Amino acid sequence: MTSEVGAIRRWTRKEYQQLGVLGVLSEDEPVELIDGQLIVAERKTPPHAVVVGLTADALREAFGAGWFVRQQAPIALDEHSEPEPDVDVVPGGPLDYFSEHPARPVLLVEVADSSLLLDRHHKGSAYARAGLPDYWIVNLVDRQVEVYRRPATDPAADFGWRYLDVRVLAPGAAVIPLALPGARIGVADLLP
Amino acid sequence: MTTYPIRTRRWTRKEYHRLDKLGILPEDEPVELIDGQLMVAEPRGRPHVTVVRLTVRALTRAFGDGWLVYAQDPIALDDVSEPEPDVVVVPGGEFDYLDDHPARPALLVEVAESSLYYDRGRKASAYARAGLPDYWIVNLVDWRIEVYRRPATDNSAELGWRYLDVHLFTPGAIIVPLARPDVSIAVADILSEALRHLR
Repeated sequence: MTSEVGAIRRWTRKEYQQLGVLGVLSEDEPVELIDGQLIVAERKTPPHAVVVGLTADALREAFGAGWFVRQQAPIALDEHSEPEPDVDVVPGGPLDYFSEHPARPVLLVEVADSSLLLDRHHKGSAYARAGLPDYWIVNLVDRQVEVYRRPATDPAADFGWRYLDVRVLAPGAAVIPLALPGARIGVADLLP
Repeated sequence: MTTYPIRTRRWTRKEYHRLDKLGILPEDEPVELIDGQLMVAEPRGRPHVTVVRLTVRALTRAFGDGWLVYAQDPIALDDVSEPEPDVVVVPGGEFDYLDDHPARPALLVEVAESSLYYDRGRKASAYARAGLPDYWIVNLVDWRIEVYRRPATDNSAELGWRYLDVHLFTPGAIIVPLARPDVSIAVADILSEALRHLR
């Protein structure tokens, strides 16, 4: 743990969980832990909430049995990070994650309007560092889905990692999840 | 590198006290609350501790009766800041601060080695914003005392305030505190020659 004098103190995931258990942070407070910092999320707009629902529905239909599609649920990303991405897909069923949050979703989706840059550069770098293979941003500003793959080191990135491949898909296109090459999800299903 | 705003959770002094009471933060970890953020403070190693003691001694002698000289006690700077400056001088007696920490020291001193950048930056800005009139940094890196006075707004400063006047004092000099224009403190009493050779 870096403890550079004059830096904002970093929280561990364990401490973060304690903040919740002891009621210092209330359940509905919109924060997530990214690299030791409690990042305050923007208030969710109605389109944001709707698109999160549409994305979860589309992914549940595409992935089917044997996969668990979660909405705004915590990920045990690393020692200092516990983000709550808008939608994520993990293998198995709900009961497989009773004792600990999943750490390695096969697919992670953020729905972005005002949070676009944060989702691309900050969270994207944290997800790349954790080696998550498939990260999508449903970009409400430009009405496109951005697909990020192939994590690699990059000293200029926020946490030293970024995704090498970025594909931008417009509403006419379809996206195929890495974990499920047989499935196709229409971009238009996510962006009405 | 792309820049974008990141909002981190801010803490009030009240919440900060709760964190402490609940034992969430390790007891011996040097942190302090500045402008709603828990900041990593300078670990209290040597020669830091010795210089703090020398500073307390010099200021206690110079200020005399009617003043309290504290070392590393919290001050109630504002609703979202509770720093623990290395030394503060406040008016009054031992029992004047039972209800809350003092808020407006007449003089505030930080002893800086690894914290130099921080003490000059974010902390100086927080102290200036609170209107603290007299702020000294005992700079162990360059072996001098920096005296900061005349707080004023400055949009480019971390918290929107900075000190307009900065004076540098080397070990041969004396400093006159703003609150006690009739006394003087020899820099050499704090940055003693004996210590310098130990470093």
